[in-house]
Amino acid sequence: MGMKQILDVINRMEADGIIGRYAIAGAVAAYNYVEPALTDDLDILIAFEASQAQPQSSLVTLGPLLTYLKSKGYSEFQREAVLIEGWAVQFIPVASDLDAEALAKAEPVDLEINPTEGSVKTRVLGPEYIVATALRVDRAKDRNRIIQFLDDEAVDIDILCDVLGRHGLADAWRAFCRRTGIANPCEVKSIP
Amino acid sequence: MKPHETIYPDISDILKAKAERRRDISRRSFGEKIAMMEALRERVAPFKRLREQRLAAKRAAQESSSDSDK
Repeated sequence: MGMKQILDVINRMEADGIIGRYAIAGAVAAYNYVEPALTDDLDILIAFEASQAQPQSSLVTLGPLLTYLKSKGYSEFQREAVLIEGWAVQFIPVASDLDAEALAKAEPVDLEINPTEGSVKTRVLGPEYIVATALRVDRAKDRNRIIQFLDDEAVDIDILCDVLGRHGLADAWRAFCRRTGIANPCEVKSIP
Repeated sequence: MKPHETIYPDISDILKAKAERRRDISRRSFGEKIAMMEALRERVAPFKRLREQRLAAKRAAQESSSDSDK
């Protein structure tokens, strides 16, 4: 099954008020800017209501969404991801100020599927936010992704430096540049 | 006055599940991984086309800018 069917389901969830604003994140978002790496899941970053006094587990946060999907016949799971039209779709609630800003600034795209299916509207995280998130998560695959974005000149360095500085990632960025032997493309200062 | 602090949900269980899925993939056979890659390529082809269109527009803008500098 193709991307259109999945995005149609997710767009319907947004229209029905089951989820708030959403954007494609993770490896599939990265495909929009650089060459692909192997994945079998589609990460969807979603807004959430910040009304609860205590942090809740994602299972609680995602409860209504999963109930809705179940009512539409999507009740199969693969390690917490919901199988929608053959894809493991992982809904990820915004979990930091960086996520919230990334979602607010996600780029709308009109994804042309093919002449028969037409196009589907969606949003994809901006490249600078994908890199900043990869830096924050900092696994080997995330570091590779950052290098790929830099090599392909897929980020606006000024925007990236601004995002890193405002979200307290300047030190992590300097450490990353030192560790990977790349010249630091920005002189970022941590906001105390 | 203390600034409003947003309390975000804990997504550690999601990240743990994602890591487990990645390990599941790494344990698959070479043939299964190739099949996955082929399916993936087909699914994300619209993103690749978007990227290529954007790069072509960027290159055209750069060429037109370097032409006007001459």
